Amino acid sequence: MTQDEVFAKVQDVLTTALAVDKEEVTPEARLSADLGAESIDYLDITFQLEKTFGIKIPKGELIPENLFSNPEFVSNGKVTAKGIAELRSRMAFADLSKFEADPDINKFRDVFTVDTLVRYVLTKVN
Amino acid sequence: MKFILVDQLLALEPGQRIVTAKNVSLAEEYLADHFPGFPVLPGVLMLEAAVQSAAWLVRQHSGFAHSLIVLKQARGVRYGNFVAPGHTLVMTAEVVQLGPKSSSFKIRGTVDDATAVQARLELAHLNLADTDPALAPLDAAAIAALKQRWNVLGAGARAALPA
Amino acid sequence: MRWIWIDKFEKFEPGVVAVALKNVSLAEEHLHDYVPGFPVMPASLIIEGMAQTAGILVGAARNFQEKVILAKISNATFSRLVRPGEQIVYTARIANVKETGASIEGVVTVRTRVAGGGDGTSQLVEEPVGTIAMMFSHIDQNMAGLKFPEFNFVFNSQFMELFETYRWDFQIKL
Repeated sequence: MTQDEVFAKVQDVLTTALAVDKEEVTPEARLSADLGAESIDYLDITFQLEKTFGIKIPKGELIPENLFSNPEFVSNGKVTAKGIAELRSRMAFADLSKFEADPDINKFRDVFTVDTLVRYVLTKVN
Repeated sequence: MKFILVDQLLALEPGQRIVTAKNVSLAEEYLADHFPGFPVLPGVLMLEAAVQSAAWLVRQHSGFAHSLIVLKQARGVRYGNFVAPGHTLVMTAEVVQLGPKSSSFKIRGTVDDATAVQARLELAHLNLADTDPALAPLDAAAIAALKQRWNVLGAGARAALPA
Repeated sequence: MRWIWIDKFEKFEPGVVAVALKNVSLAEEHLHDYVPGFPVMPASLIIEGMAQTAGILVGAARNFQEKVILAKISNATFSRLVRPGEQIVYTARIANVKETGASIEGVVTVRTRVAGGGDGTSQLVEEPVGTIAMMFSHIDQNMAGLKFPEFNFVFNSQFMELFETYRWDFQIKL
């Protein structure tokens, strides 16, 4: 599948799941900050991506778990260098450059853009 | 229980936006069941508050042309914070499309500035006479009663006690 | 007003599908003040009936150990009003379940009597009312900063009673 094909399908999934207009679903759009996604929406998106692309998304593969509860990875509300390295290995598909520039744990959600989902799906279908 | 989920009109931009308030009180009996030991406003009643708020905007805009304004479709209804007794659900409904027979809205309900619910709604505007002209008197009676309710709601008057 | 929006289960296959019924009666107060003079079942309460049917189905899939809360109504579409004297039929099917929550596909129909010939007979028919797709969150697994008690307030004794009653197929003769 090409990137464009994946993007088009991810765009449809998000338009439905987040009840937004198609035009709002741009590659840079952040799922929560821009498209209003709540926690339940991440689960909905997971179910829909599994169904649309015929893939299985195991726990923690798309959205890493038990990262910020680990004191080695977080200090004073910011992700440490060790934490960033861990994040890079768990989310090799994602573009973490913006987050690395300001690794505030409250801004972690911004990593999940439409493009992040497209990149993830590409690793699973090809 | 009276099935009225709008206690107060806070703001109205005719044909565009309405903001209402719904107080949650332990006096509301169903709270004993939802849930025992943890009373919170049921999610569907937040949705109902949104539908009723949007319906008032439609009625005011259309000059109370319809007796029935009902939910045709709700999409993307997401729940956030709980609304507990003693707190108020502030509901904002913004018009996306407003026609004679149907309308659609983007709604958001907040509790203490946190989001409790957000959704997109589509309403249908009907009169019983559309189905059977003989029912026109029922429409008229319903509309008259709704106009009364609106007078109370939209009055905005402060009731002062004499000094 | 009791917050019970289903009366009886007709079918229950844990983890798969549940069918529940709700009788709509003029004795129910909420029907009266919705549209003054024209009693009708509000759509939001039809959604609650589906939520209760589906919530018990999802809860049973994990032995009622989770607190199952309605988190999202993806889509609820209605094509018909429901009136007193009719019986709502809720059919809920689990579409997906994971540790943090589940999604459900629901269909709502209504059983209603239509008058037959002049001999006073009537016929029971089942007509479509709408479809409801919804999602539940297992909130203990998925705290999201909300505060709530530890005990399972969702699957309280009232719901458990309702759930048990569908298995009762005995008659009590006087």
